[in-house]
Amino acid sequence: MNNINHNIESPKEKQNRHKAMEAIKLLNTLREDFKAPISSMEYFYDLFERVHCKHESLHDDKTKIGTMCIQIPSEIIYALDGVPIRLCNGFYTDDEIGSDLMPQKACPLIKATVGHFASGNFTDKPDIVFSPTTCDQKTKAGVTIESFGYKLIDIDFPRTKESEASREYWRRSVKQFAVELSRFQGKKLTRTSLKNAIKKIGYAQSLYHKLSEFRKNELVPILGLDVFLVTNAFFFDKIDNWIEATEKLLSELEIRAKEKITVSGKASPRIVYTGSPPIFPNYKIPLIVEQSDAIIVADETCSSNRMFNDMVAVDEWNIYDMMDSISDKYLKACTCPIFTKNEDRIRRVIQLVRAYKADGVVYQAFAGCTVYEMEQRSVLEAMEKEGIPIIYLESDYSPSQGGQLSTRVEAFIESLKNRRRMKK
Amino acid sequence: MNYFVGIDIGSTAIKITVTDEHKRLVGFKINASGSMFYKYAKETLQSLLDELHISQDDIAYTVATGYGRKLFKEADENISEITANAIGAQEAAREYGEIKTIINIGGQDSKAISLDSEGNVVNFAMNDRCAAGTGKFLDVVAMNLEIGVDELSDYHFKSTGTPLSISSTCAVFAESEIIGLLGSNHSVEDIVSGVHYSIAKRIVKLVKRVGIKENVYFDGGPALNAGLVHAIENELGKKIFVPEYPQITTSFGAAVLACDAFKNMPEVEREF
Amino acid sequence: MLNLKRKINNMNLVRFRFWFQIVAFLIIVYGGYVGLDLGDKLPTFACVYNSEGTGGKCYVGMLQHDLKHPLETFMGFAGYAFLISLAMFIAWFWVLNKGWCGFVCPLGTMQDWLTALREKLKIRFSEYSWANRSKIKSIKYILLILLLIIPVMISNSIGGLPKLPNGLSMPFCDICPGRMLIPAFTGNFNQFYIDFSSKTDLVMTILGMMIVGLFLVGSFIKKRFFCYFCPMAALQYIFSKPALLKLYKDGAKCTKCGDCYRACDMDILEIADDVTSKNLVTEDCILCLKCIAACPEDGCLEANFIGITIFESSKEGFILRMAMDMQKESHE
Repeated sequence: MNNINHNIESPKEKQNRHKAMEAIKLLNTLREDFKAPISSMEYFYDLFERVHCKHESLHDDKTKIGTMCIQIPSEIIYALDGVPIRLCNGFYTDDEIGSDLMPQKACPLIKATVGHFASGNFTDKPDIVFSPTTCDQKTKAGVTIESFGYKLIDIDFPRTKESEASREYWRRSVKQFAVELSRFQGKKLTRTSLKNAIKKIGYAQSLYHKLSEFRKNELVPILGLDVFLVTNAFFFDKIDNWIEATEKLLSELEIRAKEKITVSGKASPRIVYTGSPPIFPNYKIPLIVEQSDAIIVADETCSSNRMFNDMVAVDEWNIYDMMDSISDKYLKACTCPIFTKNEDRIRRVIQLVRAYKADGVVYQAFAGCTVYEMEQRSVLEAMEKEGIPIIYLESDYSPSQGGQLSTRVEAFIESLKNRRRMKK
Repeated sequence: MNYFVGIDIGSTAIKITVTDEHKRLVGFKINASGSMFYKYAKETLQSLLDELHISQDDIAYTVATGYGRKLFKEADENISEITANAIGAQEAAREYGEIKTIINIGGQDSKAISLDSEGNVVNFAMNDRCAAGTGKFLDVVAMNLEIGVDELSDYHFKSTGTPLSISSTCAVFAESEIIGLLGSNHSVEDIVSGVHYSIAKRIVKLVKRVGIKENVYFDGGPALNAGLVHAIENELGKKIFVPEYPQITTSFGAAVLACDAFKNMPEVEREF
Repeated sequence: MLNLKRKINNMNLVRFRFWFQIVAFLIIVYGGYVGLDLGDKLPTFACVYNSEGTGGKCYVGMLQHDLKHPLETFMGFAGYAFLISLAMFIAWFWVLNKGWCGFVCPLGTMQDWLTALREKLKIRFSEYSWANRSKIKSIKYILLILLLIIPVMISNSIGGLPKLPNGLSMPFCDICPGRMLIPAFTGNFNQFYIDFSSKTDLVMTILGMMIVGLFLVGSFIKKRFFCYFCPMAALQYIFSKPALLKLYKDGAKCTKCGDCYRACDMDILEIADDVTSKNLVTEDCILCLKCIAACPEDGCLEANFIGITIFESSKEGFILRMAMDMQKESHE
């Protein structure tokens, strides 16, 4: 009767296939659906395909240090001979797994991250995880993740950044982190290794800044989606490979800028993207934006700009000062909405709009990402005051819901085009 | 000898099954339903009986089902396709084991039926008025890929890359998406397996609404597509049972019911 | 022009300042040997006790001298002289604004050398807590008022108090570490003495010795330790607003990352946290421009001379200064 003989996938295989399907769909869209593709982007497309579709691991020979937020200093991890793997997750497959473990209204990013841990299915499985106490959900998710048998260490993070006490508090946390990691690695933090790590990351950041400069051009040579992909790759890629690939990308962009090759249309409005981070492959909203003939020229998100923008500035190249400046970098300049007052974020968005000559702002919050949802009102008010058009969108990781969102985004983008015409 | 007939008048095909007194399958016939159900149903029945050399008089009881069932006035009784499907599935899988969940993908709809241990329907779910992810959809896919529907399975198993999912299982939208994928030189194999997984995901969602209990039975024309079966099994994480003739489970169920109804009739009434 | 501007913005400020300070130090401390005399109204510690070497003279000494007059004479020619001196002081000061402290002042330079030594020895610097930091701000004004009022009280009886002894005629110079340290650089250690001739002299010279010790120890562990209390800084700040050299900030571009604050030897919090003021030359600012060099935002901080930007923060400059421009590993 049943003449079909084949094995049923294990849950792990099924999860891998689902994730591969999510990944390849986005990658194919990026590869094929836009005009004037950049050939050096292929490294990044291929990287994501290798990791998420072919399940290649990248760091077999190294200790993998999982981080749950941008606040865990990569400089110290590299200095102690580890590889930072940022575990913020964008897969709907994992989100669904996490949904059974978290409240229904929780943020999809955290559900996906917890789901990923629950499945234990990693290409590069973290040997230890450091979780800064940033937002409530991440803070509490640590315990859940620990219950799956991971070694997880909480890193105290303050919720204000103006006060002296919080600055001191965070400096102490970072020192504690270095101590814990140094113990785990059985290595001592040396002045030279820390200095080299700071300079290496600083160099990577300088590449990002150069990349951003191109986006200020009137003829934008690179899609916002591609930039998100480049910055996302920094979560887990071998840093030297990333640097090399980004250098190549920059030289190609140089040529494109000279030859006036652009990925945007003649009337494409320029967009600053802010809010909950787009993390591969959840590029839902950026995809809708750029498929609706707009171009993302800058962003204010922790998966991209916020991760690269601020650099460690050392006055005295000794461990004490390097450690302090690292701490300050991760606290002082951070515009995460978990902080009590956050005028800085509003100022940053406005500044980005000015510097990148943007026509409007797309503010996206994950349903369940309470802090971004809460801050939405103040940001919208501030933008209105400044006369900057802004649209607020709420979304999650589910693949449906596209139609309604794209209608809203399209209408917004059309209104931006109209505004432009009126001005002329 | 008494024979029993089950007639399933579906949206795309008319399925007629004849059984004997022991509920054994004697013969079946499938025909496109077209525009005139009633006429076609009668013709199909007649040609089936001719093939089997059974005279009209030997037919003891006829049960009609399917959404055109009320149009077939000659039937002694008519029942919903849900009930017929449940009965047919249990009978067809008697040797395999107790069926608790049925997945049915028809020409233009899909269903999930949950049964209790006595074989009664306790819950069922249907897709909303839409042919997304049904047999019709597979037809459209095959047509766009310029392959036969019966080849889909082979292509599925030949796929080596990541299945290329399509966002919409709506026949209308998917068409342009598939053409797009073809235009970018993706392999037909990966597209086919992607299509199968997209349907599988959709149907598994439907099944989850009624609850998944083993054993799972899969019928309807698309169940002939081993690639789709594979995809559903993977999505479900469970083995599913597909009968030899998955297209006729419902009409077979109707015939089985006819058989039972006849037996339960008072002796006198049988004469007429 | 653009190229030059870029070069300046990309400069290594630490090196530039190091050499600038040495040249300034040579002029101020040894200029006298080559006949250089920049006058006696300099807004910096060109110590008058370095009689042979000094290339000019400190105005604070002059100021104390100018004020030591009975009221009657002060209302006449002495007051006139006072005003002229003050005007000349202000004229000098306006050229560089607080840049006199960050680039010229020999005491400041000495402290920077001590800081460099400490850094070489890998010893951490100390910081004041924010609360203490704001408390000690007023000390320099108290010192300024004392150095203004004591000379006056030598020649005048104020509020019926007795006149002060003549030994206090240069009260600040008595306790200024420059009096001992600057001549020492020319091999003149004559100022290291304790004067037993009168009670006043005894107290003041002992105090002076102690302050020199404090200056050396303090500035070893705390960057620019002495400048927090400097009455010259207080005096300068009164006239700082119209000065020609300015430190401007474009608050809109500031991300409050705090890099500038961390670089600041004077722990000036406003440089990082004030995003509304344009002029950021605060009372304790020494215009060393380290904040500009440490700022990674294009055009957020700038040194401005009569409306012309002469040095501004830039990403490129920042990256170069932090040696993040290339991938090279150092092996020390």
